[in-house]
Amino acid sequence: MELFENLKNDWQNQSTQIPTDDGIKIISNKIKALKSKQRITNIVLLATVAILVFFFFYVAAYTQSTATWGLILMILPLLVRVIIELLSIKKLDKLNKGIDFKSFKIKLESYYKSRKQVHFVLTPVVFAVYVIGFIMLLPNFKQALSSGFYNYILVSSVVIILLLAFFIIKEIKKELLFLNELK
Amino acid sequence: MKENIKFEQIYYNNYNKVVRICMGYVKGNEPLAQDLAQEVFVKVWEGLERFKGESKISTWIYRITVNTCLLELRKKKYTSNKNIEDQAEIYEVDSHAQKESQLNQLHRCIQHLSVDKKALIVLEMEDIPQKEISVILGLSHEVVRTRIHRIKNELKTCILNGTL
Repeated sequence: MELFENLKNDWQNQSTQIPTDDGIKIISNKIKALKSKQRITNIVLLATVAILVFFFFYVAAYTQSTATWGLILMILPLLVRVIIELLSIKKLDKLNKGIDFKSFKIKLESYYKSRKQVHFVLTPVVFAVYVIGFIMLLPNFKQALSSGFYNYILVSSVVIILLLAFFIIKEIKKELLFLNELK
Repeated sequence: MKENIKFEQIYYNNYNKVVRICMGYVKGNEPLAQDLAQEVFVKVWEGLERFKGESKISTWIYRITVNTCLLELRKKKYTSNKNIEDQAEIYEVDSHAQKESQLNQLHRCIQHLSVDKKALIVLEMEDIPQKEISVILGLSHEVVRTRIHRIKNELKTCILNGTL
């Protein structure tokens, strides 16, 4: 084990930087930034919910057209998904990091298992509803736009939806990989 | 004010160890480890008021360190599919520094360990008593002792042969 003892010595001589007062200042600034970020997140969340509620009542009371329902189907699930994502990030931030590693890992595992539900149940539903909403809007587009512009919207939307699906799958894979590492 | 002084003391006393533990998680990349250490101390500051002294303060800080570093692993992939041996050769040609090369190889080998083993070995490298390691990780002293022995053998093979 001589190799190991030598490595241990080298390891301990790696970073011998003297912590500075600047470091403390940076930490203090970071804490302030974090607090304001939390405040902004809360405001965004509340504003989103308020807009959602207002939009829902407005549409329910004054309009009944297919185009409006198409729009609702596109916006509503997206907003719900954003809210869930923000709450999820908050939940992860709030995990107590001062507990022992084993307990922390168990908590993290259960967090990522709950994320699996979001990924495999909620996200596909959101995605499907979004696409249905878009399809509902197509006849209106066809009526109101020139055929060239209509085709442009159709093709670019398909590309955007495919790209979106690609990035969502990539992110889900990343999280599943991490969950696997935890096991 | 009292809290500020206490925090400053904690920061100055533990900064180096925290950075080195973090380096074990980011392939020895010092700037990244320093960023991670900052995050650790932000959490220390936030939790300091609630810390009731059930354990040594250092134990609590190292818990935050390994847990924060574990979380960091989800953001970026520090492991690579490249053969460990190939990377070591490339590095050796560039640096000609045997000592640094071995340390670098050790960092690379650590990246290929499971998250449990990683946490164990980075704390062991810091010469933290095994009893304290067991409290940090929530394992029995006996388990820590046996696992460290096993990991050392694994790492030795990895450093000498380039494979785990």
